Amino acid sequence: MKVAFIAHCLLNQNAKVEGGAKRPGMWEPVIDLLRERGYTIRQMPCPELAFGGARRFWGVREQFDTALYRAHCRRLATLVAAVIEQHASAGDDIVLIGVDSSPTMGVDFTPSAPHWAGKPDIGEDDSTLVRGDGIFIEELKAELEERGLPVPRSTGIRHWFADYDPDEELRRLETILR
Amino acid sequence: MNADPRARRIAVVADSLLEPLLDELGAQGYGVIQLPPPGLDRETTLAWLEQVAEHVAEFRRTGYQVVLAGDGLYAEELDALGLPQYAIQPPSTSRLIPDT
Repeated sequence: MKVAFIAHCLLNQNAKVEGGAKRPGMWEPVIDLLRERGYTIRQMPCPELAFGGARRFWGVREQFDTALYRAHCRRLATLVAAVIEQHASAGDDIVLIGVDSSPTMGVDFTPSAPHWAGKPDIGEDDSTLVRGDGIFIEELKAELEERGLPVPRSTGIRHWFADYDPDEELRRLETILR
Repeated sequence: MNADPRARRIAVVADSLLEPLLDELGAQGYGVIQLPPPGLDRETTLAWLEQVAEHVAEFRRTGYQVVLAGDGLYAEELDALGLPQYAIQPPSTSRLIPDT
């Protein structure tokens, strides 16, 4: 069995921050690809929705990187890791797909702006995308390590990158799929 | 950011119905919250259902339409959410016309 653990918003665009959805309901390019390749979908919970709510402001990694938010992410990561463990025990092939513009679900990139704080009025978005995991992905990796499980092959969707290239994303996704 | 195209419609979908319903849900602009598959241990299943309930509560609190496409599993926990049932769409009549 082939199993893809995907960021919540890839199947439910309503979980994005206001202004952040790309599609009415789901991000079809990755959903369609996984279905074509015979992957079973396992949707992860959305840590930001559960913590900051549907009307949260968008933010950067430095704002989310608090002890309390990490504890919340770890609680959800414990759930996801338990499901991954049961699939791993069955010998299933597992991949992980996050969102690389997210302070929470970033896999290879995550947004950064050390100076963001205070009045929710940033004017022009001057955050940058830096190499690294989002907070949830970090906690998930730590939880998997504690359980002696390898981190699945993984990548992040980059549809909010200024130079987003759907063909590059498709090729990158295909490198982790079987 | 550009205008946000979200339809503010969400279906909570049983794992067994996810694949068969994805096309029609997508065509109607639904986002999906997946219910736990059968076969997980009890603790993991309850933790998953707890997350679903928290997500549903937040979406309903903020005015989103949320419906349930259930298959009878976890009936007790899902009944507590009080969600209206998703009406599965009848097959298109065009599919009922035999090829000539």
